[in-house]
Amino acid sequence: MTTAVATPVHVRPTARRTSPSLPTAIWLEVRKSLSTRSGLALVLAATLIAPAAIAIAAGTASEPLDNVLGPLVVTGMLSALVLVSLGVLSTAGEWSHGSVQTTFLLEPRRGRVMATKSAAVALMGAAIAVVGSGLSALLLLVMEPSASWDGGVRAIGMVAMAGAVFALIGAGVGAAVGNTPGAMTGIYLLDLGVLPVLQVVKPEIADKIDPGNAVLSLAQGDHTALSITILAVWVGVALVAGTVMSRRRQVQ
Amino acid sequence: MITVSGLTKQYGTRTVVDDVSFTLEPGTVTGFLGPNGAGKTTTMRMITGLVPASAGSALLDGRPYAAAPNPGAVMGTLLDAAAVHPGRTGATHLTLLASALGVPAKRVDEVLEMVDLTAAGGRRIGGYSLGMRQRLGIAGALLADPPVLMFDEPANGLDPEGIRWMRGLLRGHAARGGTVLLSSHLLGEVEHTVDRLLVIGNGRIVADGPVASLLGSDGVSVRAADPAALARSLEAAGFHVQHGDGGALVVTGASPSDVGVVAATGGHVLVELRPLQRGLEDVFFSLTAA
Repeated sequence: MTTAVATPVHVRPTARRTSPSLPTAIWLEVRKSLSTRSGLALVLAATLIAPAAIAIAAGTASEPLDNVLGPLVVTGMLSALVLVSLGVLSTAGEWSHGSVQTTFLLEPRRGRVMATKSAAVALMGAAIAVVGSGLSALLLLVMEPSASWDGGVRAIGMVAMAGAVFALIGAGVGAAVGNTPGAMTGIYLLDLGVLPVLQVVKPEIADKIDPGNAVLSLAQGDHTALSITILAVWVGVALVAGTVMSRRRQVQ
Repeated sequence: MITVSGLTKQYGTRTVVDDVSFTLEPGTVTGFLGPNGAGKTTTMRMITGLVPASAGSALLDGRPYAAAPNPGAVMGTLLDAAAVHPGRTGATHLTLLASALGVPAKRVDEVLEMVDLTAAGGRRIGGYSLGMRQRLGIAGALLADPPVLMFDEPANGLDPEGIRWMRGLLRGHAARGGTVLLSSHLLGEVEHTVDRLLVIGNGRIVADGPVASLLGSDGVSVRAADPAALARSLEAAGFHVQHGDGGALVVTGASPSDVGVVAATGGHVLVELRPLQRGLEDVFFSLTAA
């Protein structure tokens, strides 16, 4: 009699033969940002801060609002300021926790990692800003029914752009500094401390470098070329510095 | 296969890894042994490109790690179990890795079960013990079941049962044709796991070879019913005999068969005959002493 003995066969899981496609890598970065409590809290805060500010402003205003453009853009800038942190966490957060090691082991091309992180935070920043502005617009529809909606869509578009720009600045500075507290302190000190003081002391200089002012000017249709240049320089310098430092820094 | 040639790392004038070369063949577990600060971790980081080499090269199947299209599927690496986001759950961490590697999500459950973390998979990593983080790191390295595994001090934090499990895991991987590089300063762990030892001291490879050949032989210990008569016969045959503990005779420079032949010829009754080997610890300290 012959007995057949089944030999256990080791089945190797099928892994992708190549690195993930750019859309897959970007979506992966979005999921990473949303997979922690701090990331979710930031998304929630960035989404709700603008409508909360609109509710307070409209609820306490003594006179009816003429036009929605100004309030939508100004409160949208609050979202953009929060989105700076989302950008910082996506890059500096990985260096602070050490998880950048896993990221670079799976994708050693650090320039590509920086590109996908940038795309991910830009998309998230724009989307979150649009949702926040949308909620603000709904509140204004209810609380300020007589206000003019001339430029309303442009305002939401500006807020979306600001969300993307500020998230990108955060990602770039975060990658350049490689340390979450350091990057956040630096950016917010500059944006909420140095630039406002400069606006008072030397407004002609502040107008040429303040990204927040550039967004407001752009929304009003003033100094369009200068405003776009200011924002492009901020994003460009931050991302180039972040990419260079990410490529040079050793993962210990 | 991993081929490391002349790998060197300098920080300023200080050389922390100095001209390290070795080749790792499939089907073997190689232990990378050395004291703290000897250059093990830096060498491993240079192999993966996390730390740029000052000179030399490290090739994985003929190309640098960074040039592999999906390097995580070729080499599973565990360098620092703490290098994870503490706010994510173990399962989420592995799911993200699986997406990056392009392996099915169900593989996450398989590796969690493999490392005995199924019950803890839904908990945040910040609440994990060091041993659990090591297991999670090993699970991440195993996700794509890569042909090459490179673990840096994987036994840190593992309990004896965990160390035994890991030993079986690595031996099984090599038995299936995989290549394993395992660094450790736990001499006993390496001794029982590896086929080959690379010993590094002060940044240089000071020994490279099979465990048995590195341990070598220091002679034979023999006990006889009449030790004095056997000692006389051995000395007459030209062997140097010393008296050890408990009446044992230590015959330096002899093999068990040498002593057996003398005993049989002289009609001596033996009650014990065993080769003497240097302990790995002795070898390690003699090789790595500054």
